[in-house]
Amino acid sequence: MLNYIWAGLIVFSLVFALVADVGDLARDTYRNGEPLPVALDLPDGYDAEARRQPVTVRLDPTAYAQFYNTDVRPDSAYAATLIRTQEGEQIRFDADASLPEPLATIRDVTNPREEQLQGEVIDLADNGAALLAFEPVRFVKMNAISAAALDFAEVAAEIALGLIGVLALFLGLLKIAEEAGIVYALVKVFRPILKPLFPEVPDDHPALGMIALNMAANVFGLGNAATPFGIKAMEELQTLNTTEDTATNPMVMLLAMNTASVQLVPPVLLLALMGLQINQLIFAIWITTGLSLLIAIVAAKTFGRMRVYRRSDPNRPPDADAPDALSPTA
Amino acid sequence: MELVRDVIGVLSFFVIPAIVVGFPLYGLYKRVPVYESFVEGAKDGFTVAVRIIPYLVAILFAIGMFRASGAMDFLADALRPVLSLIGFPPEVLPMAIIRPLTGSGSAAIIPDMIAQFGEDSLFVKMAATMFGSTETTFYVIAVYFGAVNIKKTRHAVPAGLLADFAAMLIAVWVVRLLFG
Repeated sequence: MLNYIWAGLIVFSLVFALVADVGDLARDTYRNGEPLPVALDLPDGYDAEARRQPVTVRLDPTAYAQFYNTDVRPDSAYAATLIRTQEGEQIRFDADASLPEPLATIRDVTNPREEQLQGEVIDLADNGAALLAFEPVRFVKMNAISAAALDFAEVAAEIALGLIGVLALFLGLLKIAEEAGIVYALVKVFRPILKPLFPEVPDDHPALGMIALNMAANVFGLGNAATPFGIKAMEELQTLNTTEDTATNPMVMLLAMNTASVQLVPPVLLLALMGLQINQLIFAIWITTGLSLLIAIVAAKTFGRMRVYRRSDPNRPPDADAPDALSPTA
Repeated sequence: MELVRDVIGVLSFFVIPAIVVGFPLYGLYKRVPVYESFVEGAKDGFTVAVRIIPYLVAILFAIGMFRASGAMDFLADALRPVLSLIGFPPEVLPMAIIRPLTGSGSAAIIPDMIAQFGEDSLFVKMAATMFGSTETTFYVIAVYFGAVNIKKTRHAVPAGLLADFAAMLIAVWVVRLLFG
């Protein structure tokens, strides 16, 4: 299933990007090659010699909306700089200007580094009326998906490498826990709860202790600790796996429980975003978490019994697919 | 309930110290060569992190592309009529779609929604509940399965997504019930 979802994400991003870009071309969203009428307001008066002079660009909201065929109403004035170059005069909008669409997109695409929208000044009249020609903008979304693919590849490696320290810390502590018998003690305490969920794991297997630690860290919202514990639990479960690359039922169960989240302490990120409001929401979050955890468990169990997934079970008994062995083996 | 919440809140401050200090302390008591064991175990930190990289790259770049393509807006538009049938407000749909895909992306939605609907709106509460009660499914799959080189995920994705889907519906329903 992951194969299809993964390929689907990639193929659909290409399709959607193409559709959006072709639509932009057809609608002429960016009016490529057509200069935008503006009024330039020079507070110090026009100086024909100065290389750079501050200027206020005035946009007539109605004319702007008509020109770009949009509902967006721009502010009436934007701070900018008038620059004289060998090729002619240029307007550079200030970097922090909150430009209306589609000017903001034109800026992001044509000058992503400095975040200043620049346009060629054409026919500057005495009363300040002028035309601004921007660089043509095409295939915005195509650009965006290529950039995203490269960026996120980098981000992914950064995230993974960023885990090294925390992983090392907790894997080290877990090694002590194993040798001191803490994991075994945890196995004994949590076996009654975990055994029904992970029936395939032998009674005294350390995996159960790691799972217990993973769940505990999750309950307390300690994502940093939960990940190493979960990874260690997966490694323990892998020792019971007869294949190298296929998930076993207990692995899927552990994963389903982790994706459903068993957190009782609200995530720090949410706290930062919502502030004290979170206190009202905590019960809603608990109820949702609890019910969805239940559904995750039932789903992992039920799907595991389905024919397709039973057939791919690495630990299935050899004759599980024979017609007379239809009764659940787990 | 209030008490339970406070107890859990306080306890959460002590879990890490209990592990970081408690494990070595108990190890000493059990005459484990704690320093040697720690270093021995910690060695794996690097290998595990490196082993995860290909899985995480595969998942994150595909999701990044999908988000950048604007497909999300399209999906939100396309699903709108279906959702109103089951009483799911389209305003919170972006959160429901993005939540299993990316953690940071879905977190960014909340301030947007606060700006758009106001802090006290039901939509913001629903979105926050969704965010708080589910995990970034695809990230968890990449990290946990990547660490042990599991490529064939079997029913992990359907089970995880079904639970996410259920959580989104439950969040809407619970928030309506408690605040609506």
